[in-house]
Amino acid sequence: MSDKRLLKEGPGAATAETEVPVIEVDSHGHTLEPDYKRLPIGPDHILYPVVVGLALFPILMGDAGHHLADDMPEDETHPFFPDHFWPYPIIAVVMLVAVGLLAAFVQKNLQLETSADPRTVTIPRPDWYFLFLFQLLKLGPELFMALVIPPVVVGALLLFPFIDAIAGPRFAKRLHWKTWPVPGRNIYTGTIFVIGLAIVALLTLWALAGPQFCVPWFINSPVCGA
Amino acid sequence: MAIPHPREIQTAVVDWLDERYPFTKAVDEALYQRVPNFANAFYYCFGGMVFILVVFQLLTGILLALYYVPDATGNPAPAYTSVNFIQNNVYLGWLIRGVHFWGANLLIIMVLLHMARVYWTGSYRAPRELNWIVGVTMLLLILAFSLTGYLLPWDTKAYFATQVTIKIAGLAPPQQLGTFIKELLQGGPAVGPPTLQRFFTIHVFLLPAVIVLLMYVHFRFIRAHGISEPM
Amino acid sequence: MAGLLTATVVVGAAPILVFLWPAPARGQKKTTLKVSLATPITQLANGDAIKFDAPTSPNSAFVMADGGGDNAPGDLAFGGFVVKDLQGNTNVFAINCSHLGCSIALNPDAKTFDCPCHGSRFHLDGTVLHGPAADPLSHLTWKQGNDATTINVDGLILGF
Repeated sequence: MSDKRLLKEGPGAATAETEVPVIEVDSHGHTLEPDYKRLPIGPDHILYPVVVGLALFPILMGDAGHHLADDMPEDETHPFFPDHFWPYPIIAVVMLVAVGLLAAFVQKNLQLETSADPRTVTIPRPDWYFLFLFQLLKLGPELFMALVIPPVVVGALLLFPFIDAIAGPRFAKRLHWKTWPVPGRNIYTGTIFVIGLAIVALLTLWALAGPQFCVPWFINSPVCGA
Repeated sequence: MAIPHPREIQTAVVDWLDERYPFTKAVDEALYQRVPNFANAFYYCFGGMVFILVVFQLLTGILLALYYVPDATGNPAPAYTSVNFIQNNVYLGWLIRGVHFWGANLLIIMVLLHMARVYWTGSYRAPRELNWIVGVTMLLLILAFSLTGYLLPWDTKAYFATQVTIKIAGLAPPQQLGTFIKELLQGGPAVGPPTLQRFFTIHVFLLPAVIVLLMYVHFRFIRAHGISEPM
Repeated sequence: MAGLLTATVVVGAAPILVFLWPAPARGQKKTTLKVSLATPITQLANGDAIKFDAPTSPNSAFVMADGGGDNAPGDLAFGGFVVKDLQGNTNVFAINCSHLGCSIALNPDAKTFDCPCHGSRFHLDGTVLHGPAADPLSHLTWKQGNDATTINVDGLILGF
């Protein structure tokens, strides 16, 4: 404990008010004032350890770098804590309550079938998030549907930033567009996205419709649900 | 000697830390960093929700591992009976397992929503391409989590779903390679106890370690790049 | 230096890869499995079949003699059918569909084997009637046992 602080605090302290120092931080040109003087929780607050716990995570993340927000006017930004942070504890509790209620009231999905025996005769069916792949498998030669299409789609997804950055502007030039917009404003990449999701959704619904739901198809016709 | 007020002890500790490391400065920088107002849109919180759900999964997963027995020999197998025990006998076992189960389902939805948001607003664009790649890799890891976790209760549907999955992986040409992959995943000539042991190890040791590491990289990138510009 | 690093990685990774390769379980061995049938083969009518499972103690599986598609010679099956086709020839087939290995079932009305998974259908002699399966059913190697209700089928004691 430093003597300086002892003299200034507590009953009968020598000085009335601590001078608010403005700490000049040479990080990326912006001045960081000691925000805890403005904001509710500083090192002398009883909840400071909690705040430190929260902050440890971004501290581990290292130097924050120079951000867009640093160049924006003050009234177009807000501090991360508490202004940006406060919804997350609420979201966490709401999600916990939601999954807890599901656990309590939708026990059907959690009850086990009989213990596994390879001699059981059953129709295997994956969990819902793999149903579209399972259904896709039926729409063509297995090898192609299982080991060519999914890896190609995943590969395209992984490399999409580069595809978008290289092919996009060239395509824009041919269309006489000034820029190549982000998918949310781009009729082409936006549509690809929506169609992709629609295909996944349709395949999932098709599978969910069950083995009695059959549709004529080009190969192995008719193709039924799962 | 007067007993110091807890606040004084705390300030002293913080002072002590500050002398050795720019502690309050780091906390300030982390917590009071300015965030653009446009980041308040609700669709910017999906990533945070994914993070919270992953934390739920890690916590409930550790709890479940206290009772789960990764042994598939015999019928009914200890793996199966232990999951049944968790579900029906352990105090609040249904809740912990339920949160793990439904959390996993919700996690997949939230990951997809987060990814859709990032795609839609073009947040994958330079300089954030690498973070997109890390993100898609984590999506694949989440799917691997689901796949390996699905087998662990060792009931009929788990067994046969896994058998089909392994079979599809084993389709890889040439046939020797396919058989190699299949045997490596199965840990034997058929889906059986060695398969469960392998899937358990992947689900409980390998994947969590990898995903925590990648999450660190993901957040490190976000912190370096800041929030992406509005579209 | 690059050579040294490569050597280090190889020395470290090679044993791990070998370790990952599954060793056969203790007690795993190829043998002939004795299977009791619900009805004697002699009483089996043309166009009928009897389903049987692989023995559970010790836990065993049958070994396919041939096969195409998803099935291959040496693959394991946990069940099978003794079937007399319409010409009266007796065959023993593994239960696995040659498409993706689901368990086929006898369709007594149509006198076919139907796969519930993807709708493949087979004649009682094992040949394909309807896709997606492209290859015939796999045979099991078998011999008549000591009495009419027993057959000896080539198989594997799994050891687990």
